[in-house]
Amino acid sequence: MRKFSLLLVILLLTVAGVGFAQDAPTVAVMTPFLAQPGTQIMVENFEAAAMEKGWSVNVIDTNEDIAALVSRMEDVALQGLDAIIINVDPTQVEPGLHAAVDAGIPVFGLDSGAHPLLVTNVTSNGYTMAAETATYVVDRLSGAGNVIMFIFEPYPPVQKRGAIARAIFENTPDITIADAITPSFDNGPLEGARNAMEAVLLAHPDAGSIQAVWAAWDDPALGALQAIEDAGRVDEGIVIVGIDATEQARDAIARGSNFEATVAQDFAGMAQKVADLVESHLGGANITQVNHYVPANLVTQADLGE
Amino acid sequence: MKDRESTGPARAAFSPERFLRRYGTLVGFILIVVFFWTQRPGTFMTIPNWVNITRQMSILGVVAFTMTIVMVTGDFDLSIGAMASLVGIVAGTTFQNDGAVGTAVALSLLAGVAGGLLNGVLVAYIGISAFVATLGTLTVFRGLALYISGGASIYGRVIPAEFSSFGRGAIPLGKIGATDLALPNLTILAILALILVFIILNYTIVGRRLYAIGGNMEAARFGGIRINRLRLLSFVISGLGAAVAGLMLFSRLSTAHPTQGEGLMLQAIAAVFLGMTLSEESQPNVGGTLIGVLILGVLANGLTQMQIDTYIQQISTGAIIILAVTLSSLSGQQRHYGRWLRRLLRRLPREGD
Amino acid sequence: MSAVPLSFEIRHASKAYGGVRALVDADLDLVGGEVHGLIGENGAGKSTLIKLLAGLEAPDRMDARLNGGAIEIGDSAAAYRLGLRFIHQELNIVPALSVAENLFINNPLPRRGGVFVDWRALYRRADEALHSLGIRHINPRLPASSLSAGDAMLVKIASAFIGEADSGEPRIMIMDEPTAALNSAEVALLFDVIDRLRARGDALLYVTHRLDELFRIAQRVTVMRDGRIINSHAIAETSTSELITEMTGRSVADRKAGASVSSGKGSPRLTVRGLRTDAVAHASFSLGPGEILGIAGLVGSGRTELLHALLGIDPLLAGSIELDGRTLPTLSPAKAWQLGIAYVPEERRSQGLFLGDRVSQNITAPHLDRLSWLKTFLKRGEANNLSRHLGEAVRLKSAGIGQRARQLSGGNQQKLLFARAILAQPRLILLDEPTRGVDVGAKYDIYRLIRELAADGASILMVSSELDELIALCDRILLMRKGRAAEDLQAAGLTENQLLERCYAFQ
Repeated sequence: MRKFSLLLVILLLTVAGVGFAQDAPTVAVMTPFLAQPGTQIMVENFEAAAMEKGWSVNVIDTNEDIAALVSRMEDVALQGLDAIIINVDPTQVEPGLHAAVDAGIPVFGLDSGAHPLLVTNVTSNGYTMAAETATYVVDRLSGAGNVIMFIFEPYPPVQKRGAIARAIFENTPDITIADAITPSFDNGPLEGARNAMEAVLLAHPDAGSIQAVWAAWDDPALGALQAIEDAGRVDEGIVIVGIDATEQARDAIARGSNFEATVAQDFAGMAQKVADLVESHLGGANITQVNHYVPANLVTQADLGE
Repeated sequence: MKDRESTGPARAAFSPERFLRRYGTLVGFILIVVFFWTQRPGTFMTIPNWVNITRQMSILGVVAFTMTIVMVTGDFDLSIGAMASLVGIVAGTTFQNDGAVGTAVALSLLAGVAGGLLNGVLVAYIGISAFVATLGTLTVFRGLALYISGGASIYGRVIPAEFSSFGRGAIPLGKIGATDLALPNLTILAILALILVFIILNYTIVGRRLYAIGGNMEAARFGGIRINRLRLLSFVISGLGAAVAGLMLFSRLSTAHPTQGEGLMLQAIAAVFLGMTLSEESQPNVGGTLIGVLILGVLANGLTQMQIDTYIQQISTGAIIILAVTLSSLSGQQRHYGRWLRRLLRRLPREGD
Repeated sequence: MSAVPLSFEIRHASKAYGGVRALVDADLDLVGGEVHGLIGENGAGKSTLIKLLAGLEAPDRMDARLNGGAIEIGDSAAAYRLGLRFIHQELNIVPALSVAENLFINNPLPRRGGVFVDWRALYRRADEALHSLGIRHINPRLPASSLSAGDAMLVKIASAFIGEADSGEPRIMIMDEPTAALNSAEVALLFDVIDRLRARGDALLYVTHRLDELFRIAQRVTVMRDGRIINSHAIAETSTSELITEMTGRSVADRKAGASVSSGKGSPRLTVRGLRTDAVAHASFSLGPGEILGIAGLVGSGRTELLHALLGIDPLLAGSIELDGRTLPTLSPAKAWQLGIAYVPEERRSQGLFLGDRVSQNITAPHLDRLSWLKTFLKRGEANNLSRHLGEAVRLKSAGIGQRARQLSGGNQQKLLFARAILAQPRLILLDEPTRGVDVGAKYDIYRLIRELAADGASILMVSSELDELIALCDRILLMRKGRAAEDLQAAGLTENQLLERCYAFQ
C-alpha cells in the first residue's frame, strides 16, 4: 500500500502540471455532447476565437450524462470563472445554472435554448432553416405536386421545422402533402425512413405520383433516397431535401442524386458570435436580446463543386 | 482458491503492513483530499464545496449502498441504471396525467419493487445467472422507458414545483462564519439510505445470512438458510434503491429523460469494488462503499476545479480504481497473482523452441 | 543412476507467521532410494515445511544441502531446477482435457510450425512418460474425466516428470497425502510406482495420516508435533502405538474409543417408512433416542442421498418420515434445522463452512432466529458467548471466536461443524464422513463428541467409509446397496471383513 500511495501522488502531480490558474479571463465550455460533429466544430472554433482574445478555455464533456454536467457546473461555479458557455438544453441543467448565477458567473447558451438565467443564447433559427428547404421544394415543383414529409414531433427543435414546412406547403394551393411520417428509431432513423419510404413507393406505384420528399433532418432524407434508388425510380425526378448538412448528406448531394439540398448551420459563426458576446459582456455591455440567430445556408450541388 | 487457504497458525494481531493493506484505499482517499486541498486551497476544502460533493454523490450513493446488499450475496444488479431512468419516466408520465406528487412517488417505488421482484425471481427461483438476468431486464426497463416516453424528455410546467424544489432544497443549519450552512435534502436521503443499509448488513440476522450466502451458497442452504427468499429480497431492495435514486435524479434535474440514469450502474459497481478493498476478506461492506462513492465524487470535483481535461479525468479515475483493487489483492493473497504471473512468464521463452 | 546415492539435508528450518511459530528448527534427511514418511497431526508444521521446500514461502531460517553442496531455494522455479517435484493432495486434473494434455499441463505442448499442437508427438511422449513409471493401462487419448481417482493420481505423478528428457537423474519427490482419495486397488498401483521411483534412486518424502501405509512402503519415518521434529525412526524399529504417542503427546491407551454408551430404548425418535427419492430406491428403519446408527455401503449406494432426504435437500417421492411420533411435512433444510435435525456434511469446505467468516459466524449461521431480538436484530453478545462456550465444548483449537474458518486445520474445521450441530440442541444428527481428512488427535475428539451427544439423548445417523470406525462407534449398522437400505445389523461382534462382504453382496 505504500506503493499505492506513492503511485497516487505521482499520478496526481502529473495531472497537476496541467492545471495552473491564469490571470487572463477563464471560460468554461460545458456540454454532454462533445462526441457530436456539430458540437466539435463549435468548441474548436470557440477555442480559436478565445485564443485570439487571450482567454484560457476549459472544455468539459460529460459523455451524454446530464446529471454529471449539472455537478460539474456546480464545481466550476465555486472556482470563480469569468464565464460559462453551455451547449445543452438549459431547462435540464437548472440547478447548475442557479449555482453559476448565485456565484456571479454569467452563463451563455451556444445552440442551447432561451432561458431567463442565461445572458443570451446564440443559435440558428429553426424556422428559417425549414423555410429555406420548403421554399426550395415549392420552387423546384413550380408550385404543384405531391410531397412526402418526414417529421418528428416529440423533440421541439425538430417539431418547429415540420410546422413551418407544413405551413409553407399548405399555403401553396397545388401542393398536396401526401403523407407525414414519423420514422421508427428502432434501427436508427435512416433505416426507419427507408422502410417507410418503401411502403410509400408501393402505395404510389405510378411514375410521377410523388414529386418531392421533405425531411426535417438528413437521416430520413438519406433513407428515402436509398428506397427510391433501390426501387429504380431515380428517373422520376423526385426532389429530396434535408436539414443539417451532415457528411453523408453532402456526399449524396455532391454526386448529383435525387437528394438536392440541405441546410448547413453555421457552427463556426455561432462560436465566433458567442465569443464576441462574452467579450462585450465582460466589457460591461448590457445584452437584452434573448436569442442571437446566426444565419444558416442552403447547400446544393452548386455549393459543393470543387 | 486453494492457495488462499492456509492451515497455518493465525496471523499476529497487529502489523503496520497489515494495517496499510486493509486501510490502503482509505489512506489513498485521504491523500487525494489532501492533494486537492493543497492545489485549490481557496475553494476545495470549504464547507460549500463539501456540501456540494455530498449532494452530487447522493444519487450514486443510494444505488451503490443498495447494490452493496446484492453484491454481498455474490450477485450483481446491472439493471439499476435503467430502472432509475424508467422510474423518472413513470413519475413524469404520472405528472403529465395530472397525478399528484404522492401518486407519482408511490407508483415509482412500486415500479422499483416490481422490477426487483422480477430480477429476484429470475435469479433465485428460475436460476438464471444474475449477470444474464439483469442484463436482460436492463434492456427491458430501458425499452419500457423509451416506449412510455416516446423517446422524449419530460420537463417543464407539467412537473409540480414542490417536486422539483425538493431536489434543490436544503435544511438550513445556521451559520458558520460568513457562510450559510444547509444540508441538501438529497444528501439527507443518502444518509438515511446509508444508515438503513448499514443496520441491515451489520446488526440484523438478515445481513448475517446474506453474508453467509455470499460466502458459500451451498453451505448456507445445507445450514438451513432460506437462500431463495433472501436473494429475492436483496434484488427487491436494490430495485427500491434504484427507484429512490431515479426520483432523486428526476427531482434534481426537473427533467426525466428515458436514459438519464444509465451512468449510475457502472459507477455503483466501481464504488462497491473500491469498498471491498477495505475489508479483510474482500467482502462488500457499506462503509467501504461510502468511501468508494466519495473517492469517485472527490476525484470528479477536484479534477474539474483543477481544470483537467475531462477525458484525462476519466482515465485517472479508471486507473485509480484498478490500482486500488490490484494492489489490495496483490498483498492480500500472498502474491497469488504474482506467482501466477511469474509462472506464465517463465513459460514464454520455452514456447519458441 | 549415480553410484553415490543422492542426499538432501535440511537443517534449522524455521518459520513464524506473525508471532506464531509454525516451524521451529526442523531437521530432515532424505536419501536416494529411500521412502521417508512424515507424520503429525494437522497443524504440526508439515505443510509449512513443504511450502518452504517448494519455495512457496520464504523461511526465517533454513540451511539446505544437496549432495553436500549448500543450496538456496529462492522460489518455486529454483526448487524445480534443483530436482524437487511435488505431488499435492488435491487432484488438480482438468476433466475436459485429454490425459496427455493433463500430463503436459505445466509444460508447453509439442508443436508443429510453432503454432499447431503436434498431437502425434504429444501422445507418443505421454505414452513414454507413463510407461517409464510402469503404467500401461492408461490411454493418454482419453479424456481425463474418464479416469478413476487412483489413475488421476498416477497421471499427476507422471506429469511431474514431463518437460525434461528422462535422463534417469534421480529426483526428490515430495508427496502430500497421495492416497487420501484412493481405494485399495489404486493404492497398490501407486505403491508400485513409488517402488519404481525408489529403485531408480529417487528420494521420496511421503506425508500421510495413514500409519499402516508407512509400514508397507517407508524405510524411515519422522514425527512432527507443534512445529518441531519430535523423533525420527527406522521403520523397523518403531510401532503404530509409539508413533501415535509421539504425534499426540499422549499415550494410545487413554485415546481408545470406549464402548458404546447406550442403545435404543423407549419409543423411537426417528421412523422412516418406504422412503424414496431420485437417488434412494427404498429405505425403512427406525432409530431410538441416544442410539447411533451407522450407514455403510459402497460409493454410489445412496448413503449421502439418504441423509439428504432426511434434511429435505432431496424431495421425497414416496414414504414418510416420523420424528418423535409426528409425521413430518415436506422438509427443507431450514425446516429441518428448526425441528432439531442437525447436519455435518461430507465436504466440509464446499458444503459446510463459510471459510472467510469467523468461528462465531460459522457456529451460529443456522441458529440466527434464536439469537435475535424480534427475529430481526442479532444479539451479538449472546451469539459470541455461546460460540465461545461451544468452542470449548468441542475442544476447538483456535485463536478465538474471531478467527476465520479458513485459518483452522482440517480437524478443527470439522469440530466447528460439530459445534454448529450441538447449538441446534439436536434430536437427530446427520453425520457424513465425520472424520474424513482429519488427523488422529481430532479423530478421537470427534468420536468422544459423538458418544457424548448420544449419551445426552440425541439420535445419530452416521455415514462412514471407515468400517472399523462404524463398528466401534455404532449400535447398529444400516447397509445400503444400490440405493436400498438392504440390511440392518447389530454392530456388536461384527468384523470389518464381514461388513465389507455384506457391502459387496449380490453385486
